[in-house]
Amino acid sequence: MSDVLLRAENVGIRFGGLQALEALNLTVHDKELCCIIGPNGAGKSTFLNVLTGTLRPTTGSVRFLGHDIGGLPLHRIARLGIARKFQIPSVFPSLSVEDNLKVARWGAPSPARPIGELLDLVALGNRAATLAGGLAHGQKQWLEIGMALAIEPRLLLLDEPTAGMTPQETMATAEMLLRLKGEFSIVAVEHDIRFVRALNCETLVLHQGRRLRSGPFHDIEADEMVRDVYLGRR
Amino acid sequence: MIARDRNWLLVFAVCAALAIVYPLFADGYQLTVIRDALIFGLFAASLDFFWGRTGILCFGHAAFFGIGGYIMALVTLNDAIPFGSLLGIAGAIAGAAFVAAIIGYFLFFGGIRGSYFTIVTLAMGVICQQAAISWSSVTGGDSGLIGIPPIEFDLGGTHVDLSQDLPSYIFVASIVAVVVLALWSISRGRWGTVLTAIQDNEVRAAALGHNAPLRLLVTFVLSAAIAGLAGALYVCMAGLVAPDLSGLLLSTEVIVWVAVGGRGTLLGPVLGAIAIQRAQQTISSFNPSLWPLLLGCVFVIIVFVLPDGILSIYARLKSLFKGGRQAQ
Repeated sequence: MSDVLLRAENVGIRFGGLQALEALNLTVHDKELCCIIGPNGAGKSTFLNVLTGTLRPTTGSVRFLGHDIGGLPLHRIARLGIARKFQIPSVFPSLSVEDNLKVARWGAPSPARPIGELLDLVALGNRAATLAGGLAHGQKQWLEIGMALAIEPRLLLLDEPTAGMTPQETMATAEMLLRLKGEFSIVAVEHDIRFVRALNCETLVLHQGRRLRSGPFHDIEADEMVRDVYLGRR
Repeated sequence: MIARDRNWLLVFAVCAALAIVYPLFADGYQLTVIRDALIFGLFAASLDFFWGRTGILCFGHAAFFGIGGYIMALVTLNDAIPFGSLLGIAGAIAGAAFVAAIIGYFLFFGGIRGSYFTIVTLAMGVICQQAAISWSSVTGGDSGLIGIPPIEFDLGGTHVDLSQDLPSYIFVASIVAVVVLALWSISRGRWGTVLTAIQDNEVRAAALGHNAPLRLLVTFVLSAAIAGLAGALYVCMAGLVAPDLSGLLLSTEVIVWVAVGGRGTLLGPVLGAIAIQRAQQTISSFNPSLWPLLLGCVFVIIVFVLPDGILSIYARLKSLFKGGRQAQ
């Protein structure tokens, strides 16, 4: 657990007059799973955009394996080994499920997992020839996770992976992530407390762009302040 | 996917067979008409390779056709340059590719896409035509350059002379066949699949490690290079080059050919170019002012009724019958 994969230090970002993030720190170790939670507008997606290098922080820095990734082109960041699943399922609708995964593999510096294994991992083995645009919402989300896996990431960043999923699909996604946990680091931004509870991992709670609490999920869940924030009492 | 590839090859084979037997039934004049139409077909295929795979419309593709034409004319009209025909063709391809690379670099890496790209390339075409008119000491101004010699070169000991109708027809038809086949194999494989992905969602493709702007740029440059080749072939066959060859009208016509023939099929645009030019000659011969009106109507009808072009008629009929059977 000692080798640090991603280190965000003193990250702050300003959009005009709005301080969207302030003085955030996050360290992700190799093969670690962690979650970022918080109410709507807490800055979760903004923080994830900073972690993926899409947004350049106004203050502080994000280093991945020692490289500063702020402002690098997207494809270079992907090739360093950072995969990302977007909040809105963004698969390629006019390509088949199999071609979606192929395109993902072609982008990787050294793809290892064969297409068949990827299809099985995301439970789409019998839909390989289907156009991705015709998949159900939950299946699109899984396909996108499969595409992220295809590039053999060191770090997988998930932006609300269970958005719009049924409770059963949410639990299946949590199991999928727990199975993958030992292979690479995963950072998930989530809204759905049941999902985070199922993952039961290190959790960072954001509120109004700042760190509210961080620690193992069972401590977080018991915290009075976190409950207040989530219930809108503060 | 496999069935679609097989159908494409079948249509290609039928077209190639027709092109081979055509000289047996046609006189010299008819051969030159089809030959010139084939060159414009190659030009249409070049636009389709870019527009059909990326979904980005270039509204100034005639600029590359014209650049290729002028370079070919200037090289072959200069007696001091040896191997004029071959160097001219190489120069035409390189010149068009170079201009596309410069313009494309700023547009693609600057994040210009969609209609903005179309508008900028529209301006590019107008600028090229104006330059051809105004730079009269080199380009011959409005009247252009005349007396461009036919293509002539030595290939492995045999002397190739394309001043006659039949050899020039065979030469052009072979080039069109080879280029269309090559473009098709590029666009159905990995290159084309990634381009489709970029068209669907460029940010996603980039987040998977694909350098989208670079891939779009290379496709654009390749497309322009082939347009330049078509321009070079055309001026040698016609014997003259004029500012119209890089003008807005030709840029528009090539879009109509591609749309009518079927965007993304590569073969459809070639057939569309031939069919529309044949129709143009027939109709203009009895009433010249009727043609633009008819062309406009045909274009509108195609866009509404057959948005995938004339090649899609068969597939549409098939799905119609299939749908009928399922309903029963």
